[in-house]
Amino acid sequence: MTQQINSRLSAFFSTHRAALFTLLVLILLPFIVGLMDGESPMMVFANESGNSKFAQGLAIEIFILALYALSFDLIFGITGMLSFGHSMFFGVGAYLTGIAIKTFGLSLPATLGLVFIAAIVQAILFGLVLPRVKGITFALVTLGLGSVFHIVVMSSELGPYTGADVGLQGVIVPAFISPANERLRFYFIALTILILVYLIYKRFVDSPTGRVCVAIRENEGRARMLGYNTFYFKLAALTLSSLTAALAGFMHTLYQPIVSPNIAGMGFTVTALLIILIGGVGTLSGALVGAVVYRLLDFGLRRYIGESASFISGAVYVLFVLFIPFGIVGTWKMKSLQIKQGWQRIQKLFG
Amino acid sequence: MSSYFRKNYVLLITLSVIAALFVAAAQGMEKKDFVITLLRGLSVGSLTFLVASGFSLIFGLLDVLNLAHGTLFMIGAYIGWTVFVRPDTFVDLLTPLALILSGFALGDVYPLLATRIRLGLSVKRILPWALVLVSILIFGFILPRYPISIWDVENYGQSPVTYSFMADQGTRLLAPVAAFTEISAPLALIGLLLASIIGAFGLSLFNSVTQQQFKLNWKNYAGFAILLLVALLTFIFNESLTASLTGLSSNWLFVIAVLVATLSGAGLGALIESTLIRPLYIRPIYQLMLTLGMSAIGIEIVRAIWGRPEFVMPKPVFFNGSGGVCPATNFADWWANNCSTILLLDGRVRVYNEIFIPIVGLVVLISIWMLLQRTRLGMVIRAGVQDREMVEALGINVRRVFTMVFALGVGLAALGGILAAPSMGLSNAMGESLFLNALIALAIGGLTNYPGAALGSVLVGLIQQFIIKYGQIGIAIPFTDIIFKPTPPLVPASTVLLMVIILLILPNGLLGKKE
Amino acid sequence: MEYILDVQNIHTFIGQYHILQGVDVRVPKGSITALLGRNGAGKTTTLKSIIGLTPPREGKVIYEGKEVQDMRSFDIASKGIGFVPEHRAIFRDLTVEENLKIAERVKGDYLRKKEFIFDLFPDLKRLMALSGTALSGGQQQMLAIARALVADNHLLLIDEPSEGLAPVIIEHMMKAIRLLSKDSTIVLVEQNFLVASQLAEYYVIIEEGRSVQAGSMKDLANDKAAIHRYLGAA
Repeated sequence: MTQQINSRLSAFFSTHRAALFTLLVLILLPFIVGLMDGESPMMVFANESGNSKFAQGLAIEIFILALYALSFDLIFGITGMLSFGHSMFFGVGAYLTGIAIKTFGLSLPATLGLVFIAAIVQAILFGLVLPRVKGITFALVTLGLGSVFHIVVMSSELGPYTGADVGLQGVIVPAFISPANERLRFYFIALTILILVYLIYKRFVDSPTGRVCVAIRENEGRARMLGYNTFYFKLAALTLSSLTAALAGFMHTLYQPIVSPNIAGMGFTVTALLIILIGGVGTLSGALVGAVVYRLLDFGLRRYIGESASFISGAVYVLFVLFIPFGIVGTWKMKSLQIKQGWQRIQKLFG
Repeated sequence: MSSYFRKNYVLLITLSVIAALFVAAAQGMEKKDFVITLLRGLSVGSLTFLVASGFSLIFGLLDVLNLAHGTLFMIGAYIGWTVFVRPDTFVDLLTPLALILSGFALGDVYPLLATRIRLGLSVKRILPWALVLVSILIFGFILPRYPISIWDVENYGQSPVTYSFMADQGTRLLAPVAAFTEISAPLALIGLLLASIIGAFGLSLFNSVTQQQFKLNWKNYAGFAILLLVALLTFIFNESLTASLTGLSSNWLFVIAVLVATLSGAGLGALIESTLIRPLYIRPIYQLMLTLGMSAIGIEIVRAIWGRPEFVMPKPVFFNGSGGVCPATNFADWWANNCSTILLLDGRVRVYNEIFIPIVGLVVLISIWMLLQRTRLGMVIRAGVQDREMVEALGINVRRVFTMVFALGVGLAALGGILAAPSMGLSNAMGESLFLNALIALAIGGLTNYPGAALGSVLVGLIQQFIIKYGQIGIAIPFTDIIFKPTPPLVPASTVLLMVIILLILPNGLLGKKE
Repeated sequence: MEYILDVQNIHTFIGQYHILQGVDVRVPKGSITALLGRNGAGKTTTLKSIIGLTPPREGKVIYEGKEVQDMRSFDIASKGIGFVPEHRAIFRDLTVEENLKIAERVKGDYLRKKEFIFDLFPDLKRLMALSGTALSGGQQQMLAIARALVADNHLLLIDEPSEGLAPVIIEHMMKAIRLLSKDSTIVLVEQNFLVASQLAEYYVIIEEGRSVQAGSMKDLANDKAAIHRYLGAA
């Protein structure tokens, strides 16, 4: 009996070696950065400001971006629906959280519930137009819906609620997850959520429903011919995606002192596209890799180049499209055999 | 006839509902307000149409959704502004630009050259990259050292805003003439020419060389020679050319600005299509992403060159007169005084914004229509929209037509940009808002339908302007005393709402064909 | 024998699919050659590979003594090959006259060939101003063939001319094709064996992306076994 469990465990460990290693690194990351900077783990636990806290902050931003990019990959990369209104999914979560806590003084669980309900309603709203429009027209309609949301958020009439073009600020976050004082806790909560969502997504894509979604991407007509009512599958993908993006928005509002209206704009949808393009469209793990690369690149460029950073990131984007169209993960998967052989050859050279 | 009704009853009902709404909107306001609002709507509609028609031509034939179209519209505006307000910069730029382009004008010569050179396989692989790299290095060395009298974005006294303001006051500020200091002039010129030829050769090597029999004649060298001549002449007569351009009346400068903006838009379009878009015809979704990226890059370039502040391009004097009889009440008065405004049914109408732009829009509408219906190119475009492969199989070089259509579309957008600059003003966001308008217009009218683009644009323009007007005067809601004033956010929201409703009723737009 | 077209062992891929896995077609000058085979055997792809719409990855296409397999489609067509696609793919948004004019390769082709085309298909003359959508199936097929005649083509590739047409119109079409073969060489893809056997002098049978049998049509008509095996017809 124990032997069986042991062998299963070892099989599990050997197949998921890379993922488990990454997980370990992420758990230890705050402490490693702390140690490198001469802070003891106790100081890290006490949330003393320093490089470790800064790294945690950057990592939290990456986790939120990764959640958001995952949700976009589900509808674009997996199901093949090109939505240009995806930032609205994120924005609704972010703004609703801010308004509910700040203006109406709701508790955190109540807010989260509200956000989820709004996300479902919103997915149904997008779903309403689904049966009528396809492909490019769907992209245009979602672009329209998204830009209406952006305009509404930016309008000065709603200034007291949304902060108009200044951004939503002054949201009082409950002390036990305050990003300023309890950042380490926030870090681990964000990490846990990301891992859970990623596992749910993996499960979803491998489930029969997910497979139909992939079939819809490849050829919707054929999927329908096989007897699937594609509408429900698309709606399911949209709902899951909307929930995830709203959750990311929820975390964004809790973490950021100011919610800029930019997150509701077209530019933020492009960010999602960019991330999954860097990572690899339709690979899920590509969204995670892409988020890391994107945020670090953006951070580094802004630090060392300044204003024209978005020019460089735009150029990187174009180069990716032209030369690495399948992204990092996609290219890795395609070439993994060659890369492995290359490694073996190098090992032989030295051994 | 009755069968037409039966087939298109949804369209007819939709159109009559829109018409009824329009009549209702007209009832609610005074005659002079109505005239002004109508003309403003047409003006916005015309600008929208200039962007939308190019976009729809490109999408129809090439199947490329050019999301950078709004950015190119904006670039057209900024280029036109530069020519109009800073003729000295324009003249300074001509020489290096002509030199950079000259190498690419030799396009047909390179494949021949490539077949003449026999190289090893590994050299063959590295050569294109090496050549492009060398070319970039030379450009990187020379261009920053090439003297161009430009504005200083950071310095208020010499910022684009100031130049624009001064030009509006009637004085054309000129920056001190820049001179060659770090590098000698002949070296810079020859270096640019060499880098251009090397770069173009390198790029041409990336395409797989087909076994084509090339017959080179004078035509292959003509473009090169002309560009070289332009570069030399503008270099030698730089100062006198600047002086004569500065001395021109602003009307002529405006004409030159419009021409330069349109042509450089077309040139930019041809360049983008032939270098960036062409490798991606096999992966359509990536084209979309590419144009998105280009759009972001374009905005950053504009920010780097012209800065972030908004400014207005001055109107040419032909539309900017004022004086005793202004606003003019009749045509003769207007003609004599070039009044900036004219009284039309008691409404004070700005001539440039509300009369000139719609007229240009109409002229473009008709000329493109003629191009599509009456010329062989138009025939090929219409046929290509339906079946590209078959057009190619008839012995027509579709790719060349692709490049031309892309150039035409971007040229139209740039024309819209320079026309919009005196009325809308220049800002980093001008492209985005108008592009959204154009997308909505196309979705309403039918994505690849040319008359649909016109109809949709006019509808979008009218709705926006009527709602803006009602935002000022308010709508009396029947049977109540409430006066409802639509707020500014409702302006874009209303057109989007119209788009969503129309797409839900007619998924292919008003005039789009059923699939 | 002099061959105007010599297709040597071509392999064509569509996406990842290896559609043609070695097809040889030799077309004697001035003949009518039929490509025969079941649905999906690769006949249409063979025609498209010749004209360069689905360029072959391997093998050679030699037309009038020159290798053309690496050329772009429009270049190949300009050498004098006319293509009549399946499903009567005329340009529906263009009028009949425009459909003919667009095929001009040299200015004035259309005016020069007009009379000849109207002699062949008198129906087209009165339809000139109509748009392609208003035409019946037979008229569309006539227009598709007429379009390939406007320019000076020495070789016509005709894909399924009889598909979905009434017997009377098929008769008419066959007469026209026979007339055309006096001036030019014709490669015909035909499902209808009866039509093919009456028109063609030579044949090539394509089976699962490979050319399996070729020869003179007279021999095939007597070779009941081959007909049964490859074409499924009696």
